[in-house]
Amino acid sequence: MDWLYIYMPIAGMDILWPGLVLIGFSVGVIGGFFGMGGAWMVTPGLNILGFPMAFAIGTDIAHIAGKSMVSTMRHSKFGNVDYKLGFVMIIGTMIGIECGAQLIMYLERLGIVGGVVRWVYVVFLALIATMVFYDFYKAEQKKRAGIVEGEKGTEGITWYKTLHKIRIPPMMHFKAAGFTCSAWLPIMVSFATGVLAGFLGIGGGLLRMPALVYLIGCPTHIAVGTDLFEVMISGLYGAFTYSMKGRIELVAVFVMLTGAAIGAQIGTVATKYAKGYGIRILFGCAVLACMVSIILKQYGFSNSAAVVVLGAISIISLYICVIMLRGAAQELRDKKAQQAASRI
Amino acid sequence: MKRSLLGFFLALTAAFFMTATALAADVAQGKVLSMDTATNILTIEEFDTHKSADHPYGRPTGVTADYKIEKQTLVGIKPQPGDVVRIAFKTQGTERIAVRIMNVSKQDLRKK
Amino acid sequence: MMHFAKKIVLGAVALVTAVPSLVWAGGGEKVDQLIIVADTRVINNAFVKYIADLYNTNTLLFAVWAVVLTAVYGAFLGFLMDFIMARTGLDLKSRKLVEH
Repeated sequence: MDWLYIYMPIAGMDILWPGLVLIGFSVGVIGGFFGMGGAWMVTPGLNILGFPMAFAIGTDIAHIAGKSMVSTMRHSKFGNVDYKLGFVMIIGTMIGIECGAQLIMYLERLGIVGGVVRWVYVVFLALIATMVFYDFYKAEQKKRAGIVEGEKGTEGITWYKTLHKIRIPPMMHFKAAGFTCSAWLPIMVSFATGVLAGFLGIGGGLLRMPALVYLIGCPTHIAVGTDLFEVMISGLYGAFTYSMKGRIELVAVFVMLTGAAIGAQIGTVATKYAKGYGIRILFGCAVLACMVSIILKQYGFSNSAAVVVLGAISIISLYICVIMLRGAAQELRDKKAQQAASRI
Repeated sequence: MKRSLLGFFLALTAAFFMTATALAADVAQGKVLSMDTATNILTIEEFDTHKSADHPYGRPTGVTADYKIEKQTLVGIKPQPGDVVRIAFKTQGTERIAVRIMNVSKQDLRKK
Repeated sequence: MMHFAKKIVLGAVALVTAVPSLVWAGGGEKVDQLIIVADTRVINNAFVKYIADLYNTNTLLFAVWAVVLTAVYGAFLGFLMDFIMARTGLDLKSRKLVEH
């Protein structure tokens, strides 16, 4: 069974490469399908496969940088970016990532990095799962009550109005986003998401996006573009700083990136054919499975942890692949039928 | 945008291929026999690369070698006699100068 | 998606403040840093060997390489996927709104 293992030159251990491909592919499929990064499953997944925690984080963050390059190239641009806001936020993001990474290195010296990061992840994933299930519950309730949700379901959270009143110089005007505020507001927000990104090895979009909308007051379309821009910067800087600290495994990054690039196409196309809201439940279940596997790993059941996390993500990505293949086959069949009909 | 970005990265890659004249370092692994703090010389008995359950860090070869620790040498957990260390070193004449020293037995990464 | 964001933000703030306090609880004694040496004795692949050797000798160049290679490979995959997806015959521009 030696051929199933690939030698990681820096961490100096043999890793199950099909596991790496599977994680990369699933993160691509799931991220592409649900429209939010799936990096939350990479760090725990790599750790469960046998990477030391610091390596898992560094490798995850580098793979995010690569993946954001893939999507940037695919669409040739980020979309609507307020570049001024983006550049101001880079300051906070980079300092934040550095702080997060330093914290990891400090915990590693103390010899407690594995446990601490795993427990923070458990809390973090529990939070995501709660959001997903709560959101689903709310949507179901509304459907039953017959309320059609408008395009803007923001329920008028206007925290940013209060935050815009803080007038600590320098004040800045962001033209594309259309507001004026103290430069410290975006810097502090990006710092907080940066710390989390550097500490957990995630892109941070899950937090940065809502923060941009609710705390900073960005219009949603600008927030999407600016967030993508920020994810790329944070991934590249994260990859750099974790390489400087010697906690990155390039071979694993490339293997995962290949899987992720293919998976992302399948996931994105599948959104076209997916019906209903129920699939979100599946996403919530994947998050929960990941959380359970981290707890298993923490208590020393590495093999069962690997089975749980790899099993859960393969089932969900398989399901999405089936949606995609069925839909695509149907579309191509329809197209052919149409052509045949027009020829007659 | 696409083209200019690609061109930029290609140029950067080419530049690094040309400038990257990395000075290769050799690697040795073995058990620390002595660590002289006065002369900063680390003596190890080298192990080979055949790992097994009995010899998780390789089998002893009986060959001993001295390594000079300089100011810029990166040393992890302080090597003490009996520890297994992995050393990246450069050879200057007959002298072996350590670049990085990893204390393999005291920082088992598998447990992290 | 966006209307449970409020709680995500709150959770983020809680996490950010919780992490440093966990660290202080771990004790503040000074500990040696961990140095890793890549074992180039057991690597045969020339490229991997070059990278591992760089890791041992020149960390800065290694880091620059890591970022550049990741970015270049990502960009390459982006082009490749664009090329492939354009040839599947699927309509990737429009999307029927079936949900909600």
